[in-house]
Amino acid sequence: MVEGAKTSHSGGGFRFKVRGPRDFYGGLALIGLAIIAIWTSGDLPGIHGFAFGPGTAPRLFAGLLAVVGALVALTGLLVDGPPIERYAIRGPAWVLLAIITFAGMIRGFNLGSISIPSLGLVMSTFAAFIISIFGSTEMRWVESLIAAVVMTAFCVGLFVYLLQLPFQLWPWI
Amino acid sequence: MSELLANLALGFSVAANPHNIGFCLLGALVGTLVGVLPGIGTVATVAMLLPITFGLPPVGALIMLAGIYYGAQYGGSTTSILVNIPGEATSVITCLDGHQMARQGRAGAALSIAAIGSFFAGCVSTVLVAALGVPLTSLALLFGPAEYFSLMLLGLIFAVVLAKGSVLKSVAMVLTGLLLSMVGSDLETGAGRMTFDIAELSDGIGFTNVAMGLFGFAEIIRNLEMSQESRDIVKAKISGLMPTRQDLIDSSGAIARGTILGSILGILPGGGAVVASFAAYTFEKRISKNPERFGHGAIQGVAAPESANNAAAQTSFIPLLTLGIPPNAVMALMVGAMTIHGIVPGPQVMTKQPELFWGMIASMWLGNLMLIIINLPLVGVWVSLLRVPYRLLYPSIIVFCCIGIYSINNSPTDVVIAAIFGLFGYWLNKHEFEPAPLVLAFVLGPLMEENLRRAMLIARGDVTVFVTRPISAGLIAVAVGLLVIAALPMMRKRREEVFVE
Repeated sequence: MVEGAKTSHSGGGFRFKVRGPRDFYGGLALIGLAIIAIWTSGDLPGIHGFAFGPGTAPRLFAGLLAVVGALVALTGLLVDGPPIERYAIRGPAWVLLAIITFAGMIRGFNLGSISIPSLGLVMSTFAAFIISIFGSTEMRWVESLIAAVVMTAFCVGLFVYLLQLPFQLWPWI
Repeated sequence: MSELLANLALGFSVAANPHNIGFCLLGALVGTLVGVLPGIGTVATVAMLLPITFGLPPVGALIMLAGIYYGAQYGGSTTSILVNIPGEATSVITCLDGHQMARQGRAGAALSIAAIGSFFAGCVSTVLVAALGVPLTSLALLFGPAEYFSLMLLGLIFAVVLAKGSVLKSVAMVLTGLLLSMVGSDLETGAGRMTFDIAELSDGIGFTNVAMGLFGFAEIIRNLEMSQESRDIVKAKISGLMPTRQDLIDSSGAIARGTILGSILGILPGGGAVVASFAAYTFEKRISKNPERFGHGAIQGVAAPESANNAAAQTSFIPLLTLGIPPNAVMALMVGAMTIHGIVPGPQVMTKQPELFWGMIASMWLGNLMLIIINLPLVGVWVSLLRVPYRLLYPSIIVFCCIGIYSINNSPTDVVIAAIFGLFGYWLNKHEFEPAPLVLAFVLGPLMEENLRRAMLIARGDVTVFVTRPISAGLIAVAVGLLVIAALPMMRKRREEVFVE
């Protein structure tokens, strides 16, 4: 998804100057997406008589996407546009890590050699909160810990006691 | 006419049930609470709060969701008037004049005019929904697969034309959305499509995950990039909530015009509240005798878009309830909620479950009334909520979203998918692609494919069926016309102007 960012300065390999990098690399990425879609739906049966097969519509729309993506990329070659904004690393990385941690802890998982038992709602929520806090440069420890405890208690109260949704609370129950 | 009254009476008897009033009030309250938080839009709010309606009876759940929707919208305008960052897209416009008014010490007047405008628009559009429900449902009977397909195509074209930025890129987003919607099992044959043999993908990508990722997580990642110091909360105490007589006189025309414009734009598939508020503001500015006052605290600049977005929010239920087509992302979430409760949205809802249909319509009006009652006295509470620093707010939003997504299917994979869409949304933003057309296309994708396939089968593979059937031909003609107009260089300049304002 981010492949376009690395080469935001017009690369030496291109004979044309990239005038609108946002459009150019955006368009290229969409072409890539279309190619992946055509490739993965390639073995599905297509039109049979009058009837569409399961593969018809995906290939149709992927083909159209490739064409439109190419047009967008072409616009990027011909029309001047602003450079691609810098991608932040800190925010997205911690937020992503927090979400993945929640997903991994709530039910546990088993990936080959690594496996984690389900750790329950309380620990997952608390961990996700603490991890996501690092995404901001303005974090303060004491305040954050208090907020994490309060938010965890609130979520447990709301989802488990008030709404009675089936959640495992702790690793052992 | 008498039939309409009888139907409305039935609706009010359902809505006035103490339980349902309670759900409506609770929905409006929670919706406002979350909607006020900066950086969470209507779609994310409704998606986040979806799980809390699971345990309720169907009528109660839908009434509550509708309440959440209006509440979120109203909460968003409170944020944009008091802080100079809009809580969501629909209130971007309200920021312009609302925040200026607040700085001039007229925050109270701006808030109450927004509430009064919304309430008036709510009353008118409730009647409109009730009145148009029956005739449009009978229109739905004339619709075959070809017509449905053309109508949805028109909706997508509308979304493209009305999205800001390049038409070409919006078309690309529509196609991306359609493609993503096809991941999962094929409806007719059950063959797995583009699933990469991942078992969790065989049911397709859940719409809530996409919505939460693109509108919730992506928004947070983006906000983290910006310095939080730029938030500028009106510190002064809000006094004089009641608008003066002059305020009311000044804004009455704007409220009426905003309501009409919003009602029309809401019915159109692909339209909806965001477009309505943009259009109403631009229109008001154009016809104003002193347009230079706009942007410097003109009360019309608050009244018109607020009325329009509320009217549109409500009339966008019309295509959903009569034709079964969700015209925007929030309505798509409503479809999700209805499906969970075993209701298939469409013309049959009105005939088979009249108490649900009319109860929901009546509760729309009730919900608006509650908003005006609860919001004005509670403004102080909302303001204090705005003082919570973002560094504590966003982790709370993240965990809340995680729990919400997980609880829908008890699936950790859904949470991961939402995270991926969060990153994708961040990337889209960097390349100036609009997520709104993608989301609409994602919602309409399966319906469109189904109807396209059926239409082709009935017509024995003849593609001209879409232009030989009169209703379908008309819809296609409008769609093509719109696309051509939007692509014309002259109109392109005009569109840019509108969105810059």
